Amino acid sequence: MTNDSPVKAFLVVLLTAVICSSLVSAAVVILRPIQLNNQMLDRSRNIIKLTGLVEKGVTPSDEEMLELYRGMDVKVVDIDRAAFTDELDPLSFDQRRAVNNAELGIAIPSDLDAASLGRRSRFATVYMVLEDGELDRLILPVRGTGMWSMMYGYVALESDLNTIAAATFYEQNETPGLGDQIMRPDWQAQWKGRRVYDEAGDFRFAVNHGKVEPGSSTWLYEVDALTGATVTADAVTAMMQYWFGPHGYRYFLEELRDQNGRVN
Amino acid sequence: MSAKDTFIKPLVSENPVTLHVLGICSALAITNSLTSSLIMSVSLTSVLVITNIAISLIRKHLPSSVRLIVQITIIASAVAVIDQVLTAYLPDAAKTLSVYVALIVTNCIVLGRAEACAMKCGVGTSILDALGNGLGYSIILIVVSVIRELFGNGSLMGYKILELVQDGGLYQPNAMLMLPPSAFFIIGFLVWVIRSWKPEQNENADFKPTPLPDREKR
Repeated sequence: MTNDSPVKAFLVVLLTAVICSSLVSAAVVILRPIQLNNQMLDRSRNIIKLTGLVEKGVTPSDEEMLELYRGMDVKVVDIDRAAFTDELDPLSFDQRRAVNNAELGIAIPSDLDAASLGRRSRFATVYMVLEDGELDRLILPVRGTGMWSMMYGYVALESDLNTIAAATFYEQNETPGLGDQIMRPDWQAQWKGRRVYDEAGDFRFAVNHGKVEPGSSTWLYEVDALTGATVTADAVTAMMQYWFGPHGYRYFLEELRDQNGRVN
Repeated sequence: MSAKDTFIKPLVSENPVTLHVLGICSALAITNSLTSSLIMSVSLTSVLVITNIAISLIRKHLPSSVRLIVQITIIASAVAVIDQVLTAYLPDAAKTLSVYVALIVTNCIVLGRAEACAMKCGVGTSILDALGNGLGYSIILIVVSVIRELFGNGSLMGYKILELVQDGGLYQPNAMLMLPPSAFFIIGFLVWVIRSWKPEQNENADFKPTPLPDREKR
């Protein structure tokens, strides 16, 4: 068969497509378990970092970390009922998959959808660090639509359920060198000590458009801008506004505060 | 061209980045750290070698009407596999490189070598050509990222070399080097240095300036 024949062209394309797609599929299937394990390690590393259980600058080994991770109090929150729920097993509940599930997910009213999420899970897996039975830190999952991608992170609150103890992002695809500065540890470190709500109880946290001077009026509530990444920075503010607003964790946090952090 | 030339020429004299000005996108985006540059270099070189071998093997059976489609399919598959391998074994690096690994598909060096060499030469020559061009690209990435990371962040591969002012040291880092435009300046500078050393690389001017009309000559 000559190279000019259309049949040959068709055959060559078909064969290439079949061979290439099987190779790609094989790679995906074979490497999937390793990737899942990495994700799991990565997520626990991020959560452990927020608990204050590991000293700063110390990197625990994978085994130590998984042990700490398993030792934490993990619960599922029913966001709309503002209460913990026992209906779901926190260890197997997949919050991301729940978003598009008809029963586990819920559409967000557009006037409340500051973070442009569209839908969210009705439940959230939260992590708690307890000290003598009292809540010391509460770690909440958050996500927001950035410039290009969904940004996933955690915010850890201190026992007053208002002061941020730590925050981290663990997954994003923002512009490398600009928006992906949300992953910078020194920027994330600034979140410590900032407050989410002001004294009147209104949402106040924001990523500033410049540098926040110590002692200024915004110092308590704002963190520095990200150079060259205004869209991503504003998306982070919007994300916080949604998750700590009335359609997010706000009522749950109020409920928990009324119970003086008693979690049982 | 001898086998030696096939490998040596793309390093400097026919460097894909500085002479052909290909692969600039990733050279600007990920050269703010030496680690990402090294991983990107290895990834691109692997993709180049895989696609050059595959395309060279089937070159005689490629009808010219569907040539590009088949080439791109092979390139995209190789990139997808490399991307999967990176997320499995180097998850942190894969995270920092994010979309740029997937974007190797659109890196003109890969398709350029497939067309210019793999379609015409045997497997052996194609491998040498892929290695040479991959290494040529790597050299530029490494030079640019060493300058950017060392003077922009005081470190190399994450290890502190120059103690920064903010950590109590003496070196005030140049923040501009951390931003993508600085890579443009550095690559431009490299092009200038290489073309001064090898003037045969200079292109002819696109336009000749029109001579001034007589009355304006004094």
